[in-house]
Amino acid sequence: MTELQEFLILDGGMGTMLQAQGLAPGAAPELWNTEHPEAVTAVHRAYVEAGADVIYTNTFGCNRLKMAKTGYSVQTLIQAAIRNARAAGAPRVALDIGPIGQMLEPTGTLSFDEAYDIFREQVEAGRDADIYVFETMTDLLEVRAGLLAAKEHGGGKPVFVTMSFEENGRTFTGCCISSMALTLEGLGADAIGVNCSLGPEELVPIVRELCNWTTLPVIVKPNAGLPDPVTNAYHFTPERFAACMEPFVDMGAVIFGGCCGTTPAHIRAAAELLRRKQIVRRHPVIPPAVCTANRTVTVTEPRIIGERINPTGKKRFKQALAEHDTGYILGQAIQQTDAGADILDVNVGSPEIDEVEMMQSTVRAIQGITDVPLQLDTTNAQALEAGLRVYNGKPIVNSVNGEEDSLNTVLPLVKKYGAAVVGLTLDKNGIPKTADGRFAIAKKILDRALAIGIRREDVYIDCLTLTASAEQEGVMETLHALTRVKQELGLRTVLGVSNISFGLPNRELVTRSFLTMALYAGLDLPIINPNTESMTAAVRTYKLLANIDRNAVDFIAHYGSEPAAPAPQKTGTMTLGSAISAGLKAEAASLTRELLTEHDPMDIVEQQLIPALDRAGAGFEKGTLFLPQLISAASAAQAAFEVIRQALPDQSGADRGTIVLATVKGDIHDIGKNIVRVLLENYGYHVIDLGKDVPYEAVADATEKSHAPLVGLSALMTTTLPAMEATIRLLRERCPWCKVVVGGAVLTPEYARQIGADLYARDAMETVEAAKQIFGDQEMPAP
Amino acid sequence: MIVLPSVDREQALRYMGMHAAPDETLRTCMDACEQRLLAAAVPRYLHRVCPIHASPEGIRCEGMLLTGADIAAHLHGCDRVILFCATLSVGADAAIRAAGAQDVLAGMVTDAMASALTEQLCDAAEQEILSGFPEAYATWRFSPGYGDLPLSLQGELLGVLNAEKRLGVTLSSGGMLIPTKTVTALIGLADAPVPKGRRGCAVCRLSGSCPYRAKGEHCK
Repeated sequence: MTELQEFLILDGGMGTMLQAQGLAPGAAPELWNTEHPEAVTAVHRAYVEAGADVIYTNTFGCNRLKMAKTGYSVQTLIQAAIRNARAAGAPRVALDIGPIGQMLEPTGTLSFDEAYDIFREQVEAGRDADIYVFETMTDLLEVRAGLLAAKEHGGGKPVFVTMSFEENGRTFTGCCISSMALTLEGLGADAIGVNCSLGPEELVPIVRELCNWTTLPVIVKPNAGLPDPVTNAYHFTPERFAACMEPFVDMGAVIFGGCCGTTPAHIRAAAELLRRKQIVRRHPVIPPAVCTANRTVTVTEPRIIGERINPTGKKRFKQALAEHDTGYILGQAIQQTDAGADILDVNVGSPEIDEVEMMQSTVRAIQGITDVPLQLDTTNAQALEAGLRVYNGKPIVNSVNGEEDSLNTVLPLVKKYGAAVVGLTLDKNGIPKTADGRFAIAKKILDRALAIGIRREDVYIDCLTLTASAEQEGVMETLHALTRVKQELGLRTVLGVSNISFGLPNRELVTRSFLTMALYAGLDLPIINPNTESMTAAVRTYKLLANIDRNAVDFIAHYGSEPAAPAPQKTGTMTLGSAISAGLKAEAASLTRELLTEHDPMDIVEQQLIPALDRAGAGFEKGTLFLPQLISAASAAQAAFEVIRQALPDQSGADRGTIVLATVKGDIHDIGKNIVRVLLENYGYHVIDLGKDVPYEAVADATEKSHAPLVGLSALMTTTLPAMEATIRLLRERCPWCKVVVGGAVLTPEYARQIGADLYARDAMETVEAAKQIFGDQEMPAP
Repeated sequence: MIVLPSVDREQALRYMGMHAAPDETLRTCMDACEQRLLAAAVPRYLHRVCPIHASPEGIRCEGMLLTGADIAAHLHGCDRVILFCATLSVGADAAIRAAGAQDVLAGMVTDAMASALTEQLCDAAEQEILSGFPEAYATWRFSPGYGDLPLSLQGELLGVLNAEKRLGVTLSSGGMLIPTKTVTALIGLADAPVPKGRRGCAVCRLSGSCPYRAKGEHCK
């Protein structure tokens, strides 16, 4: 949308106005579009007469989920609503779209694709409107689904988005103001702002911050004060409400309206005030930044990109990808963020897997457990787009290069999804030897990015590290190029540094020294292994010495109370069995490593691991040992197994048989199922863990494909037991060979029988017993 | 606003089935989980006071029909109810997921601690609300799904409270409250003393198979 020359005035509250005319509290106002069109039109008309330039249709909750039981279709109600607004003589009609009313995965159970489709239906039904408006939104991922639907199906009409913030500057889902602005401006919203939740006075700091983070027109649509705690009524008079608009005008907001409790009188008063005011032009300087919904990371100082989510040269990682073991990948994510990564690179490219699906599921899974921004690292354009589509926030795309194909494929995706992009200084002729050559490619990438509307601040250049052992003369060329890109083009720089030391002794020393040199040369985004303490320490030290970490606050926080080197795992007289009993993971792993120098891996398993587990299991059954202790022991045993697995030849894990595990559709409580998984794995079963909220078909698909003899299903809620029954029914049809064991807090043996399960397990140990029953309690076969 | 500075560990240990003093491994785990949970959870609550009327079909309240013998007994002698919803918000769910991704024990511990914290929130909120009714007598909190009060009431209750807009609480298509660490409840108010009744077991659907009852205990 071009810069507004005059204030744009929106309307005010609708629900409260209809209630005054007899709409029952709790009833759906959307039905009045067809049942009492004249009443709806009358409200619209009152707002038009009060001076509103834009009328929101009476369609806030008009989506297929909320309208399901009304007997009306979304199309019917939306089209009637637009007619009502037109009939009132609205200068412009905005199709009003509120939250879906269900939370998206992973917190809730609604999928991103379903959310998109719900919004698409609304957008298509509202084609006769002039503007699309998403309001009262609290979940950035849901807004992204809506905005994409409006951009892709709305025929190019402007899209406004307003979100609702609490006094802590965050929405209910934790979305912060900067992340909202970066994400929605990147995705192509035409105006953004705030509505509902707070009164105009409480919104002042929020709107001020928003104005600093966006170049888009800013919308302010507050309630008429805060609701009375007893009566829920809003008390601001029109005059007081209007006076509150003044500070927003001074900040540079240009679109105004009212939300709950506001009436045509409030809008009239605000419009009168605005007639006397001039638009204040803003010139915000928005720093280079990436984000997730809950966290914005500015690239105004060195930030660490963790490189460990990448299968290249990692046997265990490739195996995890092949087995779709997201748990392993999530472990890598958490380890790196705990170690100090600000951003995580995500590369899931491996020959045997479907990278498109894997990129999307990995992005979702990582975003479910950490709010660190991601860098999507792939050469597969489809995988890139799949990741960009579901990424909640503004990511980095890694990467584009100077080749035409790459520029033409990658940059449009970066633009469409509002990402930042890494430009590699190479092209079809390879990596130029000289700094000049690489600078020239960097300039070309920048020009092409600017030409399609990508901001300069969103282009990060990688001048490419060459190996010092092979191309010693090239090392300084990389750094010279980096400095020139930074100083002459004003761009941020990124560099994977680990390559520098390849083929040399004392790699860590070489890499760390090069990292410090590169930081001094102007490196903003080092891509490193943050788990190597000396590397993160080098970045922290650089920030201290370069006066970025003022008063050494961060440095002292990390090293101020450092103990005299963490005690190495002193295992002394401890045995593997006692380490497992005490639930000591690190010790169990370290003792296993020691044992492996003298013993056969399978002897360790049979003579030490399994007996220790059996002891824990027996203690649990007798009631002398409790669930947390059983889990601790199982986790310690798992750490030991992990060490043993690495010592064994490829893919030859112990295997007593395959079991499919799932928490049923609609249920997202998976703690119990996860405990069962660990125990089953410890006892040598191969577990295909489908996760939580698993569709019936997915359970049958996995069982069919693996021909698993046993399926374990869990459900914690009475409301999800029918889903368990339906899953069992489908399994009987499609996988008649399999047995089904069920468990979960609300299940009883009787109910388990009633819904057709073969076995009931009260707890995790009973599931192991059930497995032994099905597979036979044979000795574990040699791997 | 309610501030909860720490988790009731005794309660959390009960939720995780730990009927002995925690060992070193568990204590360390609880320390770490508690810190992360308290940083992530945002305790909030919402309430409304509504009049109730007896009818042949059940008790009527703000367009809702409360059916079943148990709620009728619970609200016997009351003329108003406090409709109540409290939540730790989605941050608690994120903390549970993050903990579980790292370590199954940490996942379970965080979940149990979040449940205990939810109870603490409900207790504190209830106290805060009731302080506004010094003259009234109150029943304990009764939630949809207790006894024969249908769980399907949940959606209507959220609607009457406008909990989606004002608290960020929604109901999934599977009928689950999201954020998961959320409680809805009804508290009866009366001008004369009301029998408190035996809380819990008498109306609990799980009383037949309850592990606490088997040990002669009961859940708080």
